[in-house]
Amino acid sequence: MGVTRRGSLRKSAAVLAGKATGALSRISRRGGGTTLPGDVARAIDPRVLAKLSQDLTYGSIVITGTNGKTTTARMVSWLLEGAGHRIVSNRAGANLIFGATAAALDLAGADGRLRADWGVFEIDEASLPKAVEELQPKATLVLNLFRDQLDRYGELESIAKKIESALRSLPEQSRAILNADDPRVAEIGLGLTRPPLWFGLDDTTVAARELPHAADARTCPRCGASLRFDAVYVGHDGVYTCPNGDFARPTPDLTATNIKLDGFDRFAAQITFPPSGGGNGSGAEAGTAADSIPVEVPLGGLYNVYNVLAAFAAATSAGLEPAYIAERLKNFSAVFGRQERMDFRGRHLVLVLSKNPAGFNETLRTAVDLAHGTCFLIGLNDRKADGTDVSWIWDVDFEQLKGKVRVVVPAGNRAHDLAVRLKYAGVQAEPPETDPGRALDLLIKVTNDGDTAHLLCTYTAMLELRAELVRRGWAKPYWET
Amino acid sequence: MPASAPLPNPFPEGERGKTFTVGWLYPDLMNIYGDRGNILTLLKRAEWRGYETRLLQLGRGSAQQMDEVDVFFFGGGQDREQALVYEDLLEFKQAPLERAVVQGAAVLAVCGGYQLLGHYYQTAEGERFPGVGMIDVRTEAGKKRFIGDVVVESEIPALMPETLVGFENHSGRTFLGPKAKPLGKVRVGFGNNGSDKTEGCLQGTVLGTYLHGSLLPKNPHLADYLIRSALIRRGVDELSPLDDAVELAAHERILQRAQHQ
Repeated sequence: MGVTRRGSLRKSAAVLAGKATGALSRISRRGGGTTLPGDVARAIDPRVLAKLSQDLTYGSIVITGTNGKTTTARMVSWLLEGAGHRIVSNRAGANLIFGATAAALDLAGADGRLRADWGVFEIDEASLPKAVEELQPKATLVLNLFRDQLDRYGELESIAKKIESALRSLPEQSRAILNADDPRVAEIGLGLTRPPLWFGLDDTTVAARELPHAADARTCPRCGASLRFDAVYVGHDGVYTCPNGDFARPTPDLTATNIKLDGFDRFAAQITFPPSGGGNGSGAEAGTAADSIPVEVPLGGLYNVYNVLAAFAAATSAGLEPAYIAERLKNFSAVFGRQERMDFRGRHLVLVLSKNPAGFNETLRTAVDLAHGTCFLIGLNDRKADGTDVSWIWDVDFEQLKGKVRVVVPAGNRAHDLAVRLKYAGVQAEPPETDPGRALDLLIKVTNDGDTAHLLCTYTAMLELRAELVRRGWAKPYWET
Repeated sequence: MPASAPLPNPFPEGERGKTFTVGWLYPDLMNIYGDRGNILTLLKRAEWRGYETRLLQLGRGSAQQMDEVDVFFFGGGQDREQALVYEDLLEFKQAPLERAVVQGAAVLAVCGGYQLLGHYYQTAEGERFPGVGMIDVRTEAGKKRFIGDVVVESEIPALMPETLVGFENHSGRTFLGPKAKPLGKVRVGFGNNGSDKTEGCLQGTVLGTYLHGSLLPKNPHLADYLIRSALIRRGVDELSPLDDAVELAAHERILQRAQHQ
């Protein structure tokens, strides 16, 4: 009894201190107070998040993967909110355990109780084991595993191992929702004792026949042979099989077919799902036919089809009806900085976060081939959140721009590296401009009234550009969106 | 390197077309740090000088045409892939690679490729994984990972500018034997082992280094050095100059930043 009371007192103290820090940092305008309160509260009570998460009516949904975390988390929240649920969610891309803690603190009352039905948390791949241990989630989504920020994470393999150990320790009633098209994610899922719920694309009309790069090649985890791809959707995600028959893409329980992409504006697809709203990796069991429903979502790019499938799977496993989900998705709006539009001095700006080769190649393909973009500002920063090693730009196919674009402005604190990359891609570019304000000025100077310009930027390059647009009276600061 | 009998010249008199061939060792397995940048830089710089360029992808299995390669590139991989590569290297690539080098082909080996061309890699537990021993270097596992910008003062005579810039990310500590000369002295960063201030190695026409990021795009002078070393056997002494303003501006940015570190 005494122990419990002291435990809850400690939790209350941690909650109050954290909340005070959040208010203070918002007042002082130091970045919206998205993670600092978490640091403070966890210093007082390291179990504060674990304790707060027990107050949730239903539990948590955790989302990880290299690309798509923020969009998918926002979509899951959007779906649950529309069904009347109260949500706690780390919204501003604060995806370490401190960010999740800060989000929970924000919604906690003065009595230290968290009043919410669902927690929806995007979690950095490396933080997944801790998040799973503290949150004991009802569902854990793994979207993909691409090479990203090698300087911070070391090798992809060590990240994959962390995710694997996290999924193995999931509580009994928890479900793993995994991308069947990603060979490394599939390898993890096939090793789990409880079968996961798999999702994947099934539409060769939007697939490439070959991997974009040697760098995307994958080997069979059992025999080491190079995997053969019958379809490639994004990066190394596709339909693959080991030539010796030792490993193959698991049959997805949820699929997207009949995919129609319309630039960055929207896509339509048919989603097929197990009738129970998520059979235990056994959709074909006992003659139960799968159901299907058309969806139309105001997001562009094939990677967003994966995000929608993942969110659809999470929402059905949380008990939402497919018909409701499809209806609600029609009005989903893109997340801050992920894919945003604004008009600025007569130019239509499309801002798209592009932070690693798989994501970048897909945004370039969408911008050039589907949206017919001819004006670009590309922002490359090498701060911690972007990755301090910029060598990955050599795995991005800037060659796609060659001969198809009119204007390319290399920006960000590594604009000079981008300028070299563009030169070797045979793309005529403006001189590199490291200052975000001057880069915008240059863009305005070399484009015309009514032009659409695509701004493809790494994380902090996007923040800086957006801050500049805010300073000039456009776009709302991110803690107000 | 084994002493060898005279080998037939792959470029006999009268067939000296202006071709330039890059051989990429294990492009699918040893490619984790934007290695494509090095390949593109070699190819483009030859192409801009009027060479007909060709890229040979040397994946696992028997390799052909390795005697036609001017510059080999051997990048870094993850542990899982590196083990697959080692087997294949011994079985299919080592002999033709050594033959090509004897004939004057150049090699750029980065990180994992650098380690594999040396004598061995020794893990923290003392287990030794043999390399192919083409260069006189050995590597031991270290605890701390060396990550960050690197600036090196090159020891290649007459290389201008004298500096090389790049990014390192490795836990191996590489030590040079007497036959291998350091590529340069570390001004910023850790280099081969973090203790003797050396970075990389040069042994004949084989160049090993921990610098990626990618190395050659921001060091066009080093790219040209490799191209020239490989073309000497074809009677090419001088490469025509190119406008390197964009590349050298990126090089200069890293030097400036390094001064503030």
